Amino acid sequence: MTELPEEAYDVLVIGGGIAGMEAAIDLGDMGFKVALVEKEPTIGGKMLLLSKVFPTLDCASCISGTKTSTVSHHPNIRLLTYSEVAGIERVDSGFVARVTEKPRYVDASLCTSCGECEDACPIIVPNEFDFGLRGRKAIYIPFDTAVPKNAVLDLDNCIYCMQCERVCPADAINFLQVPKAHTLRVKAIILAVGFKLFQAEKKKDYHYGEYPNVLTSMQMDRVVAPTRPYNAVIRPSDGKEPQNVGYVLCTGSRDRTVGNPRCSQVCCMYSMKQAQLIMGSLPTADITLYYMDIRAYGKGFEEFYRQSRDMGVKFVRGKVGKIEQKPDSNLTVYYEDTEGSGGMRKADHDLMVLSVGLLPNTEVAGLFKNVKLDLDEIGWIRIMNETRSSVQTNIDGVFAAGCATGPKDIPDSVLEAGAAASQCAAYIRGASASITAHEVPAGI
Amino acid sequence: MSTHAFEPKILVFSTNIISDPGIDQAGMSHINYPSSSRILRVPCSSMIRPEFIIHAFESGFDAVFIAADGGDCPYLSDCSVRTARNVQRASEMMKENGIDQSRLRMAGICSVCSDAFAKGVKSLYDITKGLGPVRSEGHDRAS
Amino acid sequence: MKCRQEFKLTEGKKERIGVYVCHCGGNISDYVDVKKVVEEIKKGEPNAIIVKDLMFDCADASQSEMIEDIKAQKLDRVVVAACSPKLHEATFRNMAKRADLNPYMLYHADIREQSSWAHEGDMEGATSKALAHVRAAIAYVKSAEPLEKIKSETTHSVLIIGGGIAGLRAAIDLSRMGVNVMLVERSPALGGHVAELGEIYPYYTSGPEIVKGLVDELKGRDNVAIYTNATVMSYSGYLGKFEVKVKVTHRQPGSEYSEITLHVGSIIVATGFDTYRPPKGEYGYGTVKGVVTLPDLVKALGDGSKELIYEGRRIREMAFIYCVGSRQKPPEDGGHANLYCSRYCCNAATSQALTIHRRFNNVKIYHLYRDMRTYGRNELMYEDAAKGGSIFIRFDEDHPPLVAEDGDRCRVTFWSSLIENQPVDILVDLVVLVTGMEPRQNEELNRTLSLPAGSDGFYKEIHPKLRPVETNITGVLISGTAQAPRDVRETLSSASAAAAKAASFVLKNELELDPFVAFVNPQACEAHQECIKECPYGAIELVEELGKKARVTSAKCKGCGACVAVCPTGAIQLKGYTNMEIKSMIEELAR
Repeated sequence: MTELPEEAYDVLVIGGGIAGMEAAIDLGDMGFKVALVEKEPTIGGKMLLLSKVFPTLDCASCISGTKTSTVSHHPNIRLLTYSEVAGIERVDSGFVARVTEKPRYVDASLCTSCGECEDACPIIVPNEFDFGLRGRKAIYIPFDTAVPKNAVLDLDNCIYCMQCERVCPADAINFLQVPKAHTLRVKAIILAVGFKLFQAEKKKDYHYGEYPNVLTSMQMDRVVAPTRPYNAVIRPSDGKEPQNVGYVLCTGSRDRTVGNPRCSQVCCMYSMKQAQLIMGSLPTADITLYYMDIRAYGKGFEEFYRQSRDMGVKFVRGKVGKIEQKPDSNLTVYYEDTEGSGGMRKADHDLMVLSVGLLPNTEVAGLFKNVKLDLDEIGWIRIMNETRSSVQTNIDGVFAAGCATGPKDIPDSVLEAGAAASQCAAYIRGASASITAHEVPAGI
Repeated sequence: MSTHAFEPKILVFSTNIISDPGIDQAGMSHINYPSSSRILRVPCSSMIRPEFIIHAFESGFDAVFIAADGGDCPYLSDCSVRTARNVQRASEMMKENGIDQSRLRMAGICSVCSDAFAKGVKSLYDITKGLGPVRSEGHDRAS
Repeated sequence: MKCRQEFKLTEGKKERIGVYVCHCGGNISDYVDVKKVVEEIKKGEPNAIIVKDLMFDCADASQSEMIEDIKAQKLDRVVVAACSPKLHEATFRNMAKRADLNPYMLYHADIREQSSWAHEGDMEGATSKALAHVRAAIAYVKSAEPLEKIKSETTHSVLIIGGGIAGLRAAIDLSRMGVNVMLVERSPALGGHVAELGEIYPYYTSGPEIVKGLVDELKGRDNVAIYTNATVMSYSGYLGKFEVKVKVTHRQPGSEYSEITLHVGSIIVATGFDTYRPPKGEYGYGTVKGVVTLPDLVKALGDGSKELIYEGRRIREMAFIYCVGSRQKPPEDGGHANLYCSRYCCNAATSQALTIHRRFNNVKIYHLYRDMRTYGRNELMYEDAAKGGSIFIRFDEDHPPLVAEDGDRCRVTFWSSLIENQPVDILVDLVVLVTGMEPRQNEELNRTLSLPAGSDGFYKEIHPKLRPVETNITGVLISGTAQAPRDVRETLSSASAAAAKAASFVLKNELELDPFVAFVNPQACEAHQECIKECPYGAIELVEELGKKARVTSAKCKGCGACVAVCPTGAIQLKGYTNMEIKSMIEELAR
């Protein structure tokens, strides 16, 4: 481990997804110095991997792409990717955070992201950025729109054949890299640690991971994205174009049997969005959404719901009990009809998508050493006094934004990130500078 | 003028934030499209003057492809409508000048729409190949 | 060929150009004959003083070499032909700055993503494309002019219109940041709708307490001026320098009102919503006794009494009818309807049901709903209400319930698919219409600000994800329920987000904007005004003093160039993308 000298910033933003990027940019634009720490080798979070996003169906990378690029060139933002916060201590002046930057085994200042190393590497492992739908090499550029766009070597899967080192035209491969220990002294912190997806394997009766034609909604979002793994909308078992797709909404949400009684807020909408996108690619396909309530509550959402119905997306009000696979890899869905005449019914589909819910990244609480961060019953970061501030945690100077405090769609995450930036700025300025009044007219 | 080895020259107008990254993506994915294409980037497709398009034909391009912002434009929510209107004007000017209007095409290309771009340019290339060089049409503008 | 002639005029100028073609370690040179590109440029371009091919243009050593060249050879223009400008344009512009060269005198041509990688196996084609892109870049820098970021002073103050919770929250944030805040509220008191409410879900705090909490934070802050009974009369100016006239009505007799002028750098519009008022007869509203709206009920519950009595009637059974004024069907005649969901009402109604169950014994509540949208953790209230004695019955948009008088009670008839769509009657003492939010009727202010509204009637942001608080008028921001239905916490978020954006405009006392804005060549302008019509940002105006010429206010221009396309004379152009630059590039690309 290389110990680096302490660096001072105004704000530490933890998490480089859409909320973290937005908060960092807002603070940077106000003139504050920001350190943005992201544990993955690239920023952009889950949003950058999505296809198009509701309710305007704009392309996700067109939006997050402008943010990733702004973050990477912003004069007031120091970006630390592939870095994890090891611990945060409260001190008199604010906080001291220790951050461990993992070695990429690639000199980022030399790497030109040409991809020669990827071509040469003989090892193929599932690509986490495609949720296992396609492979990547042991040395890899996470994806085409990654920022920073540098190769990273995954030593756990490397066989030390040194092919990458041999072919790299820039001599950027360096097996001798060691982790770097950064010490960041900051005045305030924004937690934008995002969410985890519900692990669909836990709903045993849906047989995710066992039946090839049962996918999660995140995988399906990759399948319908322009950068999609198969370059076609096909089902995994045999590569056929699906003609009859079923969606199980509330997989892992509103479900006490898996310990998450809450609604995940985004699944209704992203399922409808995917339905519209599939219909765009496969105009003859039937899409059925099995739902409990359609929660199209945000700006433009209800209009999107109506549009989906008008396009021919079928909505069946019912709770899916189980999925069974037939010999031809088609699937039978058994559901409780809560709208028609009731009772258990069944239907056949050739592809099933589980609209998985959002769960908290609870590790965030463990980052704080001499103070305790409050989480709620489920594990989301608790906001202290929601009718006063939407972003203030129980620790003075620590704010939270985006899905760190609960499931949220992109527009709400962006707004909350702006709110965190605002209150963070107010906290720093309010604490340090004595406010000078400039020509304020007296109140009436 | 021999047409058997005719390689249509295509001018592509791209946009900094949206379609140019989409065209980059085609390269990154090693998707081939005609190498006789040339790319010129502007901030937003709504700024392309019909006169620029005519100038391209006058300068020797055989076809023009507008890789528009589509619905993803960061400046204007009705960017497509505006761009389409300007392209329509250019198309009318082409007609007046005796240039086949099918030499001009517009498509919304998002920042990762590499396939749509490659397909669009290829098909324009094929159409133009059938039409022959622009200088064979109307009066000779090469002077 | 007007353009070529213009070109000849500039040829005598003797530019000193440096051209650096990158191999990218083979990524370019495997499919682009880099040496040939260099030779061709050397042969054909006498003003290219330096033409080099480098293994990696972006490497530190290469950048140092460029800086030395620029200084030693007095280069005034540079072309870098390498990977995508998205990756390294900023790198090379910084390099130019370090070499004391105006960074906009550099053009970054893409010969990797758009040449070598796109045309593998076609060396000839890829090379000629790369050469064309380099030649076009040279043509660009030849006609380029040095550009500077636009700097403009800003007033260190923000005007907030609306003294509800959104306006208050934005005021707190900005004031604490040290920004002067002027808050204008048209009614006599602060707090807006929230101040009128009783207990608010799911916070178990009353409306007045919420407002007091926010107002207390503002107390004693000497950089906040609050004007109640005040309305905005007119405004002018642009980002950084708005001038707003406000009419303040006095309560004291004698002087009826005064007019004040505020100078601010940015404006936050936080004017809130109107509650949907059902027309007479909708679900028996105004015609059947015992039919009330949700806000009426909330006010009635505010009195703390032990029994639930409404207008003398003791309530034992009641029905909530949801989506009143929201999720309306598009009328066949194309007329107006509230198509949107009002977001807060399912949560607000279930929470009121919970309050009733908690406070009063044996009150039975029927909830006639369409989709129960208790999103997020509000789902728990829905569960609890069902446990507490609420009965949830779903109805279809095509079969809404009917409400009629039945003696001294109300008869509600509904159809449920679960009972084969046979009508079912229930008798209740009170029918609560769960009414949604509507855009605030504020015609005068809307006329003054001319802020665009969406099809739902709420103020429209530029982009819900990219620029969620910004409007077509640069510097005028929207927040809270003026933009869309929201609950308390969501409103506070959007208010703070607007404060952050306003602060980014005014905190530094100086704005720095990209130089790529429109400008007018007055000699060519014939006052057709097409550009003025085309600009959605109101950045262009006709100036009489200049002899009827268009003029661009840089601080309002976002640099899209839409005006450029429609100008009949080519008088209005975009800096960095002038007609000359584009045309000369087209000519080189066509070679």
